[in-house]
Amino acid sequence: MSAEKPLSRFHQPISVPGRRLLHHVPLKFVRKKVAGGGGRALNQEIPLIPFIDFLLCIVLFLLASFSASGELPIDKNVKLPNAENVIDMTEAPMVAITGTQILVDGNPAGSTRAIEDSNRLQRIDELFNVLKNKRELWKQLNPTKEFPGVVILQVDRNVQALVVKSVFQTAAFAGYPNVSFMVGRLAKPGEGGGH
Amino acid sequence: MAGIDVGGGHGGKRATNHEIPLIPFIDFLLCLVAFLLVTAVWSQMARINADARVPGPPKDEPPEEVKKEKQLHVEMRGDRKFQLIWKEGNTVINTIDVDKKPVPVGEQGDYKYPDLAKKIEEEWKANGQHRAASDTKLDQAVLHTDNSTKFSDIIAVIDAIYSPHRDFNVGVKTEKVPAFNVTFSVN
Repeated sequence: MSAEKPLSRFHQPISVPGRRLLHHVPLKFVRKKVAGGGGRALNQEIPLIPFIDFLLCIVLFLLASFSASGELPIDKNVKLPNAENVIDMTEAPMVAITGTQILVDGNPAGSTRAIEDSNRLQRIDELFNVLKNKRELWKQLNPTKEFPGVVILQVDRNVQALVVKSVFQTAAFAGYPNVSFMVGRLAKPGEGGGH
Repeated sequence: MAGIDVGGGHGGKRATNHEIPLIPFIDFLLCLVAFLLVTAVWSQMARINADARVPGPPKDEPPEEVKKEKQLHVEMRGDRKFQLIWKEGNTVINTIDVDKKPVPVGEQGDYKYPDLAKKIEEEWKANGQHRAASDTKLDQAVLHTDNSTKFSDIIAVIDAIYSPHRDFNVGVKTEKVPAFNVTFSVN
Protein backbone atom coordinates (compact mmCIF):
# COMPACT_ATOMS: atom_id res chain seq x y z
CA MET A 1 0.00 0.00 0.00
CA SER A 2 1.54 3.23 -0.97
CA ALA A 3 0.29 6.34 0.69
CA GLU A 4 -1.24 8.71 -1.86
CA LYS A 5 0.07 12.19 -1.97
CA PRO A 6 -2.53 14.78 -1.17
CA LEU A 7 -3.56 16.93 -4.06
CA SER A 8 -2.29 20.46 -4.22
CA ARG A 9 -4.88 23.02 -3.43
CA PHE A 10 -5.20 23.96 -7.09
CA HIS A 11 -6.19 20.40 -7.93
CA GLN A 12 -8.62 19.75 -5.10
CA PRO A 13 -12.34 19.47 -6.02
CA ILE A 14 -14.62 22.35 -5.24
CA SER A 15 -15.95 21.87 -1.70
CA VAL A 16 -18.73 23.51 0.29
CA PRO A 17 -17.51 26.74 1.93
CA GLY A 18 -17.74 26.94 5.72
CA ARG A 19 -15.81 27.56 8.85
CA ARG A 20 -12.23 26.41 8.67
CA LEU A 21 -10.51 28.24 11.49
CA LEU A 22 -9.89 26.12 14.63
CA HIS A 23 -11.91 23.22 13.24
CA HIS A 24 -8.95 20.86 13.28
CA VAL A 25 -8.57 20.82 17.05
CA PRO A 26 -8.69 17.11 17.91
CA LEU A 27 -10.50 17.34 21.26
CA LYS A 28 -14.23 17.69 20.59
CA PHE A 29 -15.20 19.74 23.63
CA VAL A 30 -12.27 22.15 23.09
CA ARG A 31 -13.17 22.49 19.43
CA LYS A 32 -16.77 23.29 20.38
CA LYS A 33 -15.71 25.94 22.81
CA VAL A 34 -13.12 27.71 20.67
CA ALA A 35 -15.19 27.56 17.48
CA GLY A 36 -18.19 29.04 19.27
CA GLY A 37 -20.51 26.13 18.83
CA GLY A 38 -21.07 25.27 22.48
CA GLY A 39 -22.26 28.61 23.86
CA ARG A 40 -25.36 29.36 25.86
CA ALA A 41 -28.72 29.76 24.25
CA LEU A 42 -29.04 33.21 22.71
CA ASN A 43 -32.79 33.51 23.13
CA GLN A 44 -33.84 35.21 26.37
CA GLU A 45 -37.23 35.61 27.98
CA ILE A 46 -37.96 39.07 29.39
CA PRO A 47 -39.56 38.68 32.84
CA LEU A 48 -42.74 40.54 31.92
CA ILE A 49 -44.67 40.26 35.19
CA PRO A 50 -42.03 42.01 37.39
CA PHE A 51 -41.63 44.57 34.61
CA ILE A 52 -45.37 45.33 34.66
CA ASP A 53 -45.29 45.52 38.47
CA PHE A 54 -42.45 48.04 38.23
CA LEU A 55 -44.34 50.14 35.67
CA LEU A 56 -47.48 50.07 37.80
CA CYS A 57 -45.49 51.30 40.82
CA ILE A 58 -44.10 54.22 38.78
CA VAL A 59 -47.59 55.06 37.49
CA LEU A 60 -49.04 55.05 41.00
CA PHE A 61 -46.22 57.24 42.37
CA LEU A 62 -46.57 59.73 39.53
CA LEU A 63 -50.35 59.80 39.86
CA ALA A 64 -50.02 60.48 43.59
CA SER A 65 -47.70 63.42 42.96
CA PHE A 66 -49.69 64.67 39.95
CA SER A 67 -50.82 68.27 40.16
CA ALA A 68 -53.79 69.15 38.00
CA SER A 69 -53.28 72.87 38.62
CA GLY A 70 -49.94 72.79 36.79
CA GLU A 71 -46.76 74.66 37.51
CA LEU A 72 -46.74 77.87 39.47
CA PRO A 73 -46.09 80.85 37.24
CA ILE A 74 -42.75 82.28 38.35
CA ASP A 75 -41.35 85.27 36.51
CA LYS A 76 -37.90 84.38 35.20
CA ASN A 77 -36.52 87.75 36.31
CA VAL A 78 -37.50 87.10 39.94
CA LYS A 79 -34.94 85.35 42.13
CA LEU A 80 -36.75 84.15 45.23
CA PRO A 81 -35.12 83.76 48.64
CA ASN A 82 -35.24 80.40 50.42
CA ALA A 83 -36.49 79.52 53.91
CA GLU A 84 -36.88 76.49 56.19
CA ASN A 85 -40.05 77.16 58.21
CA VAL A 86 -42.50 77.31 55.35
CA ILE A 87 -46.00 76.10 54.53
CA ASP A 88 -47.40 74.67 51.29
CA MET A 89 -48.57 76.93 48.51
CA THR A 90 -52.22 77.79 48.18
CA GLU A 91 -54.38 79.15 45.40
CA ALA A 92 -54.54 82.94 45.72
CA PRO A 93 -53.87 86.07 43.64
CA MET A 94 -50.16 86.36 42.87
CA VAL A 95 -48.52 89.79 43.09
CA ALA A 96 -45.06 89.81 41.50
CA ILE A 97 -42.52 92.62 41.87
CA THR A 98 -40.05 92.50 38.98
CA GLY A 99 -37.66 95.42 38.76
CA THR A 100 -39.92 98.46 38.95
CA GLN A 101 -43.02 96.70 37.64
CA ILE A 102 -45.84 95.19 39.70
CA LEU A 103 -47.86 92.35 38.17
CA VAL A 104 -51.05 90.76 39.48
CA ASP A 105 -51.46 87.26 38.01
CA GLY A 106 -49.19 88.32 35.15
CA ASN A 107 -51.01 91.56 34.32
CA PRO A 108 -49.39 94.97 34.98
CA ALA A 109 -50.74 96.70 38.11
CA GLY A 110 -48.53 99.69 38.78
CA SER A 111 -44.93 100.60 39.34
CA THR A 112 -42.60 100.91 42.33
CA ARG A 113 -40.82 103.95 40.88
CA ALA A 114 -42.97 106.46 42.79
CA ILE A 115 -42.14 104.74 46.12
CA GLU A 116 -38.42 104.68 45.38
CA ASP A 117 -38.44 108.33 44.30
CA SER A 118 -40.37 109.58 47.32
CA ASN A 119 -38.50 107.19 49.69
CA ARG A 120 -41.53 106.78 51.91
CA LEU A 121 -44.21 104.18 52.54
CA GLN A 122 -47.27 104.75 50.35
CA ARG A 123 -50.30 103.03 48.89
CA ILE A 124 -50.04 101.94 45.22
CA ASP A 125 -53.39 103.02 43.76
CA GLU A 126 -53.29 100.86 40.62
CA LEU A 127 -52.50 97.72 42.61
CA PHE A 128 -55.16 98.65 45.17
CA ASN A 129 -57.84 98.93 42.46
CA VAL A 130 -56.88 95.67 40.76
CA LEU A 131 -56.92 93.74 44.06
CA LYS A 132 -60.17 95.37 45.16
CA ASN A 133 -61.84 94.41 41.86
CA LYS A 134 -60.60 90.86 42.27
CA ARG A 135 -62.04 90.70 45.77
CA GLU A 136 -65.42 92.03 44.63
CA LEU A 137 -65.51 89.57 41.74
CA TRP A 138 -64.75 86.70 44.14
CA LYS A 139 -67.56 87.82 46.45
CA GLN A 140 -70.00 87.95 43.55
CA LEU A 141 -69.03 84.45 42.46
CA ASN A 142 -69.10 83.04 46.02
CA PRO A 143 -71.83 85.02 47.87
CA THR A 144 -72.25 82.43 50.64
CA LYS A 145 -68.58 81.87 51.42
CA GLU A 146 -66.29 83.95 53.62
CA PHE A 147 -63.54 85.72 51.69
CA PRO A 148 -60.16 84.19 52.65
CA GLY A 149 -58.18 87.40 52.00
CA VAL A 150 -55.00 85.58 51.02
CA VAL A 151 -52.54 87.10 48.59
CA ILE A 152 -49.10 85.76 47.65
CA LEU A 153 -46.23 88.16 47.02
CA GLN A 154 -43.53 87.02 44.62
CA VAL A 155 -40.66 89.36 45.43
CA ASP A 156 -37.10 89.36 44.14
CA ARG A 157 -34.50 88.79 46.87
CA ASN A 158 -32.86 92.18 46.20
CA VAL A 159 -36.01 94.33 46.43
CA GLN A 160 -35.90 96.93 49.22
CA ALA A 161 -38.01 96.63 52.35
CA LEU A 162 -39.72 99.95 51.58
CA VAL A 163 -41.25 98.52 48.39
CA VAL A 164 -42.21 95.26 50.12
CA LYS A 165 -43.91 97.12 52.97
CA SER A 166 -45.77 99.41 50.55
CA VAL A 167 -47.11 96.45 48.54
CA PHE A 168 -47.92 94.61 51.79
CA GLN A 169 -49.86 97.57 53.13
CA THR A 170 -51.66 98.16 49.82
CA ALA A 171 -52.76 94.50 49.74
CA ALA A 172 -54.02 94.76 53.32
CA PHE A 173 -56.01 97.93 52.55
CA ALA A 174 -57.52 96.23 49.48
CA GLY A 175 -58.98 93.51 51.72
CA TYR A 176 -56.17 90.95 51.73
CA PRO A 177 -54.82 90.88 55.29
CA ASN A 178 -53.31 87.38 54.99
CA VAL A 179 -50.18 88.09 53.02
CA SER A 180 -47.77 85.29 52.17
CA PHE A 181 -44.31 85.56 50.65
CA MET A 182 -43.38 83.00 48.03
CA VAL A 183 -40.03 81.37 48.83
CA GLY A 184 -37.99 78.33 47.90
CA ARG A 185 -38.13 75.44 50.35
CA LEU A 186 -34.88 74.77 52.21
CA ALA A 187 -34.37 71.33 53.75
CA LYS A 188 -34.34 71.46 57.54
CA PRO A 189 -31.27 69.98 59.24
CA GLY A 190 -31.77 66.22 59.45
CA GLU A 191 -34.25 66.17 56.56
CA GLY A 192 -33.39 64.81 53.14
CA GLY A 193 -34.08 66.46 49.77
CA GLY A 194 -35.08 70.07 49.66
CA HIS A 195 -34.29 72.80 47.26
CA MET B 1 -47.62 34.97 27.67
CA ALA B 2 -50.01 35.52 30.53
CA GLY B 3 -53.36 33.83 30.27
CA ILE B 4 -56.36 32.64 32.19
CA ASP B 5 -56.82 28.88 32.07
CA VAL B 6 -60.08 27.67 33.55
CA GLY B 7 -59.40 24.06 32.60
CA GLY B 8 -61.66 21.68 30.68
CA GLY B 9 -63.78 23.34 28.03
CA HIS B 10 -63.47 20.65 25.40
CA GLY B 11 -67.16 20.04 25.00
CA GLY B 12 -68.38 23.67 25.23
CA LYS B 13 -69.25 26.04 22.45
CA ARG B 14 -66.70 28.76 23.02
CA ALA B 15 -63.20 28.50 24.44
CA THR B 16 -63.09 29.80 28.01
CA ASN B 17 -59.30 30.22 28.14
CA HIS B 18 -58.14 33.75 27.50
CA GLU B 19 -54.81 35.37 26.74
CA ILE B 20 -54.18 38.81 28.24
CA PRO B 21 -52.55 40.99 25.57
CA LEU B 22 -49.48 41.97 27.60
CA ILE B 23 -47.59 43.91 24.94
CA PRO B 24 -50.35 46.53 24.33
CA PHE B 25 -50.79 46.73 28.10
CA ILE B 26 -47.08 47.49 28.57
CA ASP B 27 -47.26 50.06 25.74
CA PHE B 28 -50.19 51.74 27.49
CA LEU B 29 -48.32 51.82 30.82
CA LEU B 30 -45.22 53.28 29.17
CA CYS B 31 -47.33 56.01 27.52
CA LEU B 32 -48.90 56.78 30.90
CA VAL B 33 -45.48 56.97 32.58
CA ALA B 34 -44.17 59.28 29.84
CA PHE B 35 -47.21 61.58 30.12
CA LEU B 36 -47.03 61.78 33.91
CA LEU B 37 -43.28 62.42 33.85
CA VAL B 38 -43.70 65.25 31.35
CA THR B 39 -46.52 66.90 33.32
CA ALA B 40 -45.00 66.30 36.77
CA VAL B 41 -44.39 69.44 38.84
CA TRP B 42 -40.99 69.26 40.45
CA SER B 43 -40.91 72.78 41.85
CA GLN B 44 -40.11 73.24 45.55
CA MET B 45 -42.01 76.47 46.02
CA ALA B 46 -43.59 77.26 49.35
CA ARG B 47 -44.80 80.33 51.24
CA ILE B 48 -44.00 82.07 54.45
CA ASN B 49 -46.90 83.76 56.14
CA ALA B 50 -47.35 87.26 57.51
CA ASP B 51 -50.39 88.99 58.94
CA ALA B 52 -51.25 92.59 58.20
CA ARG B 53 -53.36 92.93 61.39
CA VAL B 54 -55.90 95.26 59.85
CA PRO B 55 -59.43 95.45 61.27
CA GLY B 56 -62.01 93.26 59.56
CA PRO B 57 -65.44 94.39 58.32
CA PRO B 58 -67.72 95.91 61.01
CA LYS B 59 -69.98 93.44 62.86
CA ASP B 60 -73.37 93.98 64.54
CA GLU B 61 -72.14 92.68 67.88
CA PRO B 62 -70.31 95.12 70.17
CA PRO B 63 -66.52 94.60 70.01
CA GLU B 64 -64.95 92.52 72.76
CA GLU B 65 -62.63 94.26 75.14
CA VAL B 66 -59.13 93.51 73.87
CA LYS B 67 -56.72 92.57 76.60
CA LYS B 68 -53.26 94.01 76.18
CA GLU B 69 -50.87 91.18 75.45
CA LYS B 70 -47.14 90.88 75.41
CA GLN B 71 -45.65 91.23 71.94
CA LEU B 72 -42.15 90.43 70.77
CA HIS B 73 -40.68 93.30 68.72
CA VAL B 74 -37.71 92.25 66.57
CA GLU B 75 -35.55 95.22 65.70
CA MET B 76 -33.24 94.51 62.74
CA ARG B 77 -32.06 98.01 61.95
CA GLY B 78 -28.60 97.74 63.47
CA ASP B 79 -25.63 96.42 61.52
CA ARG B 80 -24.13 94.35 64.32
CA LYS B 81 -27.02 93.13 66.43
CA PHE B 82 -30.71 92.38 66.62
CA GLN B 83 -32.82 93.62 69.49
CA LEU B 84 -35.63 91.55 70.93
CA ILE B 85 -38.04 93.74 72.88
CA TRP B 86 -40.98 92.38 74.86
CA LYS B 87 -43.70 95.04 75.07
CA GLU B 88 -47.12 95.16 76.65
CA GLY B 89 -48.88 98.01 74.89
CA ASN B 90 -46.31 100.79 74.93
CA THR B 91 -44.58 99.52 78.05
CA VAL B 92 -41.20 97.90 77.48
CA ILE B 93 -40.87 94.80 79.67
CA ASN B 94 -37.54 93.40 78.61
CA THR B 95 -34.84 94.02 75.99
CA ILE B 96 -32.36 91.41 74.74
CA ASP B 97 -29.49 91.92 72.31
CA VAL B 98 -28.50 89.16 69.88
CA ASP B 99 -25.39 89.35 67.72
CA LYS B 100 -25.98 89.40 63.97
CA LYS B 101 -24.19 86.26 62.78
CA PRO B 102 -25.41 85.21 59.35
CA VAL B 103 -24.66 81.59 58.41
CA PRO B 104 -24.63 80.89 54.65
CA VAL B 105 -27.01 78.20 53.41
CA GLY B 106 -26.96 76.58 49.96
CA GLU B 107 -25.32 77.95 46.86
CA GLN B 108 -27.74 80.73 46.00
CA GLY B 109 -26.45 83.28 48.47
CA ASP B 110 -29.03 82.51 51.15
CA TYR B 111 -28.23 82.70 54.81
CA LYS B 112 -29.94 82.19 58.14
CA TYR B 113 -29.58 83.39 61.72
CA PRO B 114 -29.41 80.31 63.99
CA ASP B 115 -28.43 82.36 67.06
CA LEU B 116 -31.46 84.59 66.63
CA ALA B 117 -33.73 81.56 66.12
CA LYS B 118 -32.35 79.92 69.27
CA LYS B 119 -32.82 83.07 71.36
CA ILE B 120 -36.38 83.62 70.06
CA GLU B 121 -37.23 80.02 70.98
CA GLU B 122 -35.85 80.52 74.49
CA GLU B 123 -37.78 83.77 74.85
CA TRP B 124 -41.02 82.18 73.68
CA LYS B 125 -40.60 79.31 76.15
CA ALA B 126 -40.05 81.84 78.95
CA ASN B 127 -42.58 84.55 78.02
CA GLY B 128 -44.95 83.15 75.38
CA GLN B 129 -48.61 83.48 76.36
CA HIS B 130 -50.29 81.07 73.94
CA ARG B 131 -48.71 77.68 74.48
CA ALA B 132 -51.61 75.28 75.01
CA ALA B 133 -52.63 73.13 72.03
CA SER B 134 -56.26 74.19 72.55
CA ASP B 135 -55.35 77.92 72.36
CA THR B 136 -56.41 79.20 68.94
CA LYS B 137 -54.43 82.44 69.22
CA LEU B 138 -50.74 82.81 68.47
CA ASP B 139 -48.16 85.06 70.07
CA GLN B 140 -47.49 88.18 68.04
CA ALA B 141 -44.09 89.25 66.69
CA VAL B 142 -43.59 92.67 65.11
CA LEU B 143 -40.70 93.14 62.70
CA HIS B 144 -38.99 96.53 62.48
CA THR B 145 -36.83 96.99 59.39
CA ASP B 146 -34.92 99.70 57.67
CA ASN B 147 -36.34 100.93 54.36
CA SER B 148 -33.20 99.83 52.53
CA THR B 149 -33.07 96.28 53.97
CA LYS B 150 -33.01 93.60 51.30
CA PHE B 151 -36.01 91.27 51.05
CA SER B 152 -33.77 88.18 51.44
CA ASP B 153 -32.63 89.54 54.83
CA ILE B 154 -36.25 90.07 55.91
CA ILE B 155 -37.10 86.47 54.96
CA ALA B 156 -34.07 85.16 56.90
CA VAL B 157 -35.30 86.98 60.05
CA ILE B 158 -38.96 85.90 59.56
CA ASP B 159 -37.67 82.33 59.13
CA ALA B 160 -35.86 82.63 62.47
CA ILE B 161 -39.02 84.01 64.16
CA TYR B 162 -40.99 81.02 62.84
CA SER B 163 -38.50 78.47 64.20
CA PRO B 164 -40.23 77.84 67.59
CA HIS B 165 -43.17 75.50 67.03
CA ARG B 166 -46.07 74.55 69.27
CA ASP B 167 -48.93 72.05 69.22
CA PHE B 168 -52.20 73.25 67.73
CA ASN B 169 -55.51 71.38 67.76
CA VAL B 170 -57.10 71.10 64.34
CA GLY B 171 -60.30 69.13 64.83
CA VAL B 172 -59.31 65.86 66.46
CA LYS B 173 -55.73 66.07 65.23
CA THR B 174 -52.84 67.98 66.79
CA GLU B 175 -50.43 69.67 64.43
CA LYS B 176 -47.16 71.54 64.89
CA VAL B 177 -47.46 75.21 63.90
CA PRO B 178 -45.11 78.19 64.30
CA ALA B 179 -45.52 79.74 67.75
CA PHE B 180 -45.49 83.32 66.45
CA ASN B 181 -47.50 85.28 63.96
CA VAL B 182 -45.38 87.93 62.21
CA THR B 183 -46.40 91.37 61.10
CA PHE B 184 -44.48 94.45 59.96
CA SER B 185 -44.07 97.69 61.80
CA VAL B 186 -45.03 100.62 59.60
CA ASN B 187 -42.76 103.04 61.45
